[in-house]
Amino acid sequence: MTVNVSKIYLLDVATDGSVEAELRDAIEQAQLDDWQTKWRPALLTTLQELVRKGVPFDQWPQSWHWDWSKKTARVQGLLAFRGFSIVAQGETQGLAQVDLTKAAREANQRGKPLVYLEYLEVAPWNRPDLGNAPRLRGVGTALITAAVALSEDEGFKGRLGLHSLPQADNFYRKIGMTDLGQDAAYQNLRYFEMTSEQARAFFEKEENDET
Amino acid sequence: MTAKRTMTLNLTDAEMRVLDELSARKDITKTAVLRQALRLYQTIDARVEKGEKLLFENDATKEKAELMLL
Repeated sequence: MTVNVSKIYLLDVATDGSVEAELRDAIEQAQLDDWQTKWRPALLTTLQELVRKGVPFDQWPQSWHWDWSKKTARVQGLLAFRGFSIVAQGETQGLAQVDLTKAAREANQRGKPLVYLEYLEVAPWNRPDLGNAPRLRGVGTALITAAVALSEDEGFKGRLGLHSLPQADNFYRKIGMTDLGQDAAYQNLRYFEMTSEQARAFFEKEENDET
Repeated sequence: MTAKRTMTLNLTDAEMRVLDELSARKDITKTAVLRQALRLYQTIDARVEKGEKLLFENDATKEKAELMLL
């Protein structure tokens, strides 16, 4: 399989300068190796620190148990699933996996196909919610942008859906997605959707932020 | 964008009518309908091959019906 690589830019928080990064439309072995050898030890250190500080379990990063090796193996070779990764400074900075077989729920687009964002995770060192200043900013937004662009490319007009982990609810509201409330059929996580109009507004904002 | 190849597709009037209807109702192009159909077929086939069943459940009555695939 040919992997398409696009050049994107992230913000280096320490220098306040931009950093060139690769957006890759696949999750390959190199990214899984990074997850295993870099993300997991970094996350383990964070979890040990949370235990030491007595932080309640419900305030832990909610993706702490995610296993990207299993997630990618489960959908290997299936056209319905696609992966994205962001690589910068020689390391994997973010991963996402999408499902193309789901349909929209929002009243104005109910039943129409969308890109469903199954999983999105940013490297532990880029997550402000883990208590430290992030190294790079913009990784999560770049992965969302890639998912919305895929929706456009597939003819789904930018429609996007996802279940949000509670710690990310405000992020999805901030980028203009509609909060359709808690989903009893999906661990009571809130379900968010982006309409084609919201996708256009999202892209316009992204373009304005870049210029 | 991933490179794509072109093929000619011969459909009956009835098949073309269904394709037109789905394209309009789902708000996607006819090509997108066929690509979506291929994804779904492959996904279902892979799960059935692993020994799983495809069931439909009536939301109101909770009645289940199995879809048999050949």
